[in-house]
Amino acid sequence: MKLYKKEGNILQIISFPAENAEKGDYLLVEDQDAGKALIAQIIDVQFAAVPGVLEELLRTFPDGGEPLQGEDIDPMEIAPHITYIQDASLLICKIRATLENEMLSPSSSWLPSRSQSTIKKLSIPMLMKLAKNDGKLPIMLGGTKDSALLTIDASAIDGTLNIITGKKGCGKSHLSKLLMVNLVGYKATVVIFDLNGEYSSLGLANDGKRNIYYDKIHTLVPSQNFKVALEQLPLNTVMGILVNALHLPGTSAREFRRLWKMLKEKGKLNMQELGEAIRDLNCNQHVRDALASRFHSFANSGFFTDCPGEATLLDDSILKSKDIGGAIVINLKNTSNIDRQIVVEYVLGKLVDSLSNWKLKAVFLFAEEAHLYLRETYWDDIVTRMRHYGIFTTFITNQPDTIQETIYRQADNIFLFNFTNEHDLDVVSRAARVDAETVRSIARDLPPHHCLTLGKVVSDFPIVARVRALDIKTLGETRLFFNTN
Amino acid sequence: MKPDYQETLIAAVDTSTIKIGETSTGIIVAIRGATTWKQNGSYKYTRLGPFIFHITEENKNQLYNTLEHAYFSTTYGSSHQAAPNVMQMPTRLASLLERWLQTMLAKTINHGVLLFDGSLTSGTIDTPVQLLKEILSYARRNKSTVLAFSKATTLRANGILITEQLPNHDPPYLIETTGLHSKLPLILLGDVYVARLNKANFAFRLDIDKETPIEQRMAAIQKLLGNDIYTQSYPETLRLSHILCTFTANEVIAMKHFITRKHGIQIIHRPDMHKLLFGPFSKGEIYS
Repeated sequence: MKLYKKEGNILQIISFPAENAEKGDYLLVEDQDAGKALIAQIIDVQFAAVPGVLEELLRTFPDGGEPLQGEDIDPMEIAPHITYIQDASLLICKIRATLENEMLSPSSSWLPSRSQSTIKKLSIPMLMKLAKNDGKLPIMLGGTKDSALLTIDASAIDGTLNIITGKKGCGKSHLSKLLMVNLVGYKATVVIFDLNGEYSSLGLANDGKRNIYYDKIHTLVPSQNFKVALEQLPLNTVMGILVNALHLPGTSAREFRRLWKMLKEKGKLNMQELGEAIRDLNCNQHVRDALASRFHSFANSGFFTDCPGEATLLDDSILKSKDIGGAIVINLKNTSNIDRQIVVEYVLGKLVDSLSNWKLKAVFLFAEEAHLYLRETYWDDIVTRMRHYGIFTTFITNQPDTIQETIYRQADNIFLFNFTNEHDLDVVSRAARVDAETVRSIARDLPPHHCLTLGKVVSDFPIVARVRALDIKTLGETRLFFNTN
Repeated sequence: MKPDYQETLIAAVDTSTIKIGETSTGIIVAIRGATTWKQNGSYKYTRLGPFIFHITEENKNQLYNTLEHAYFSTTYGSSHQAAPNVMQMPTRLASLLERWLQTMLAKTINHGVLLFDGSLTSGTIDTPVQLLKEILSYARRNKSTVLAFSKATTLRANGILITEQLPNHDPPYLIETTGLHSKLPLILLGDVYVARLNKANFAFRLDIDKETPIEQRMAAIQKLLGNDIYTQSYPETLRLSHILCTFTANEVIAMKHFITRKHGIQIIHRPDMHKLLFGPFSKGEIYS
């Protein structure tokens, strides 16, 4: 490989076929005289502009148009050398860092010698070693193209905002499961808003037998094994549900607050008493109607119960996970849109409550297709206020434009799977921790199950890896009409 | 003239040479030859080379004589002539390969039309009379006709180039020239015509073996018209031969790569004195 050009933080390097350089690979451009080296990543591979190639291609077509057939007698065996030159490629590389005295700096302001610099591939393990990315809580994410392992550190997910995105069927859920079980393995508490009911099997191996996580997976199905009694609910949480999920107007909300306090004082805080109190409420007709309709939503959700024995306390699951780690899977598969919002409001309110009371140290929240159940104002709330409480969110989506731009700008880590749609790539490229060219160029060509990892977990060195397989029973596969099995 | 569509093998030969670079003792050149033929409606080719030679003052005579002897099992007297300049050697070696390829075609093709690049003028250092006579005689023996097309000519009539005196007549046509005399030692082994094969406003000097009967000459031209493409009044088979043997820039780079890698020869980059002295006014550079 030979250094050809440097423009800004883009290097152009001439490479020959035997050198087998591909998009995503890292190169070390070392200038021994300067005592420095540039670390650059290949973001595009083009044909080198070798003079005469066009003539070479054109001359194989006579005027008739059919390709010429013939024999080349080449006793000196020059042809392989011609092919070698013709197939030379131009590597477009993005400078990621400068290495000087074994220290990395983000500078790309110096110019290595074009004639004297040596260029060699930099393996991912070596790159991670140089970046001092060797924490004590490793999560083996998968394998890189050159068969090296890509290991991230769980602490790089701690306190961060993460996004897992890519088009359908490329392995997003698989990666989120991998991250979850590893976090659980490190005794973390994980909460999952499971939209398709595919995380309930985290405790089962492929063959259906229990795995080591079995006892740490708590699946809660709203209105089945996950119900709450009104008396267990803090008023703030109920108000959150009414105002945010059920859009209760301010005047009615004030009336409800008064009603709630009155019932609580009387020790009659249950669904039946609440229904009767609303019915008998002596107030404006519109306010009473508004409260009655919200009460019916409560009642119809099946999520609220008057029987304390039926009520599953989220606190119990949180308590179980607190010391040994665990995943609380909120299965929203068969839950209607309104009920889903009620459940989510309840869970988030409860988590904030537990965290603010230090019942929990921190929680890793995995939210799949969050736009389907998260109100708009919550996005900023999650990345700012809730983060300070200790809710560290990972958004998982195949529609990147459903996540607000502010989220991308603040995301610490992005796990990007294949996207071919320009619009989707544009959205993701707004992330602050990566340049748009890298996202557009590399993500477009990612094969299935390969993920471009960006951000803190890889010390801001974008790395492509094939996500490793998990011995976990697969649920959530698309049901097919023409399935022959 | 009218095209004759009777299937006839049209074959052509051309060679090419290029200077790859200079060494401290001489020059490195590459030579390549190509034969092209049209058969059953499609073009085919055989390409020989590139052959790379390191030519020095010391080896130039030995190199030429060895190759001539290897190709023709004889020497045609060129070895007795004054030793050529090293710089002329590439052309001489290419001519040697071209004559050998022409001999092979003449010996192996029956009832065909053989297209040569250039004229049928002999007696030059590259084209000994005896050698060209032998090639033409092989072709005649195999009932083939040799048509030699020159891309450029210096022949004039009444002071005007013969290819620029075209009659007001619909092509294709041939114009016969008469009264041409060559100066010794040059000998014309062909009769010279001006050929305009289609409406494109180009005409070429065409030499046809003197000893070929007139009827056979006309039949060969008509078969060429019926069997080959001639978009710019020039036969496609001959054009392809030329294109296939020409060296492209990437091939030159590849050959330099080969020389350095395989033989460890260092090519010297001498400064271009024209560019050095005249800058943008050096020849070959056009600035608007």
